[in-house]
Amino acid sequence: MTHPNPTDEKPWLDIDRKPFIKIRNLTKKFGDVVAVDNISLDIYENELFSLLGGSGCGKSTLLRMLAGFEIPTSGTIEIDGQNMLAVPPHARPTNMMFQSYALFPHMNVAKNVGYGLRRDGLQKAEIDIQVSEILELVQLGGYEKRKPSQLSGGQRQRVALARALIKKPKLLLLDEPLGALDKKLREETQFELINIQETLGVTFIVVTHDQEEAMTLSTRIGVMDIGTIAQIGEPQEVYEFPRTRYVADFIGSVNLFEGRVIKDSPNKLVIESPDAGINIHVPHGVSCSPNQLLWFALRPEKFEISVAKPKNVTNLLKGTVEDIAYLGGQSVYLVRLETGRLVRTVRANRDRGAEAPITWQQDVYLTWARSAGVVLTS
Amino acid sequence: MFFRILSVFGFFFLYAPIAALVFYSFNASKLVTVWGGFSTKWYGELFGDPQILGAAWISLKIAFISASISVVLGTLAALIMVRFGRFKGRTLFSGMITAPLVMPEVITGLSLLMLFISLQGLIGWPVGRGLSTIVIAHSTFGLAFVAVIVQSRLVDMDKDIEEAASDLGARPVRVFFDITLPMILPALVSAWLLAFTLSLDDLVIASFVAGPGASTLPMVIFSKVRLGVSPDINALATIMIGIVGLGIFCATLVMLRKSSREG
Ligand SMILES: Nc1ncnc2c1ncn2[C@@H]1O[C@H](COP(=O)(O)OP(=O)(O)OP(=O)(O)O)[C@@H](O)[C@H]1O
Ligand SMILES: [Mg+2]
Repeated sequence: MTHPNPTDEKPWLDIDRKPFIKIRNLTKKFGDVVAVDNISLDIYENELFSLLGGSGCGKSTLLRMLAGFEIPTSGTIEIDGQNMLAVPPHARPTNMMFQSYALFPHMNVAKNVGYGLRRDGLQKAEIDIQVSEILELVQLGGYEKRKPSQLSGGQRQRVALARALIKKPKLLLLDEPLGALDKKLREETQFELINIQETLGVTFIVVTHDQEEAMTLSTRIGVMDIGTIAQIGEPQEVYEFPRTRYVADFIGSVNLFEGRVIKDSPNKLVIESPDAGINIHVPHGVSCSPNQLLWFALRPEKFEISVAKPKNVTNLLKGTVEDIAYLGGQSVYLVRLETGRLVRTVRANRDRGAEAPITWQQDVYLTWARSAGVVLTS
Repeated sequence: MFFRILSVFGFFFLYAPIAALVFYSFNASKLVTVWGGFSTKWYGELFGDPQILGAAWISLKIAFISASISVVLGTLAALIMVRFGRFKGRTLFSGMITAPLVMPEVITGLSLLMLFISLQGLIGWPVGRGLSTIVIAHSTFGLAFVAVIVQSRLVDMDKDIEEAASDLGARPVRVFFDITLPMILPALVSAWLLAFTLSLDDLVIASFVAGPGASTLPMVIFSKVRLGVSPDINALATIMIGIVGLGIFCATLVMLRKSSREG
């Protein structure tokens, strides 16, 4: 077995690689509202790129500009080397799944799904085969004759998904494709999406609110914050090395300790944090101005929680367990520090309740590996 | 309680005359207000009157043609107002489209008459006045009603349904016939029915722009009534009420079927 060249799997690392989609200085204003604010972005062939961000931050608007429904106020979009500015929606090599589904109410499921193929002038027999294949895929076999008004929310969503997938375009734009599906169906469909992407070589841009979904699906994630892109990176990169507090907080949960730099050298940083009540030691510098205000971000699962006081640790917090949430695979402990700060920690439930010595109102110690956290300056 | 009395009065004044009219159309007596027993002889007399039959035929022809023209042009106007975004002079355009709704009919009729006369002087068309000038006149004011009805339907309709069709490869004209038209069809049907009935019972505008040999039914009735109300007019009115009622019934049915299908 040969190992693939890493830049084949991660084309964004290869500066010579031509991007499939090239977005430059893209801005869209609706009157006074700047929905998309000067975004530049490269997306490569075969990527499954997720757009994540709060409600109203411009995700749908960005997709709609790619599909051709909104004309950019300024900036350019290139798909496959071709400038898209003058290309009308029906001539673009894209298909979109709408956040509102936008099913044709007067057509049944089969007619809805087959519409794109009919416009391409395929034979009826061929269309019927492809329609029933794709309906099988989204588990809607037997629903061909139903009207959209006779379907549940999740079923409508799957019809919309099937209708967008069936033409197998070069670029698929999915606006919250799986939001209304239950967990099991969602996971199966996620798996199918990845399957389609790998077998057909389709490039996906997927908008989602669900960061876990973004983590499992994507080659890269773009986190949007009111019209701009706050960070782009591989899922692990965005999770472990968020660049701003917004990103850290948006992807997963995080404990943020505010503090000031009191020592900054290339391999040692000390932050005085009244929030945590201690000086936090970090094994690398950040080269910032002395006394600068910054934030130390630590994910809940990075904490080591113990009843006995650990020895020989630099970063040690003391607190009282205020609340415990049992989540099956893991438990969440909310610990009130002596400074009054509430800290969120997670521990895997390795034993079946036998051990569990930590209970409510118990005094506990929290430690973490010195490199477990991230220092954020904005 | 007050409102109940008021609405009873309202309905009384609305429908009592109509009921009386229908009732007396079956009157055997020649005197309109004296009941002389049941008879359908006035209906027979009506169908034996070539003047009334001719006028009815002209009226129906005019109503049919002008309603159809109104629906086509009115739909186009509505599409331009709703779907083509903000263009220069859009407010003026929509104002001008809907102006005939509030314009006194006398003014509409008079101005159209003057237009026709000066057009004839300038380009030699229309030659004289008759059926075609009435059709043009009725189309213009029917258009305004159609535009308003279709416009409100288009505003309700989600734009992204049409976008989805164009996304799947349909050109704009294709999108219109595949998606927009089927979805606004019920509105078009009721708009057509409205334009048809408006044309059918218009007297004022038609009187201005009609010419010799092109008297519509309302014009004939009006001239007859001036010589005294005769019972066959009651019969005619009853038939017209029947036709209009049927039209409204159909329009409601179309609307109901549509809402039950989408709801
Ligand atoms: N047609 C429009 N006219 C005016 N403002 C608009 C229009 N479309 C979007 N906006 C505004 O642009 C901003 C971005 O909207 P957009 O729909 O792109 O958000 P989103 O990220 O998709 O949100 P959500 O996650 O809720 O779907 C919002 O403030 C919205 O109100
Ligand atoms: Mg959206």
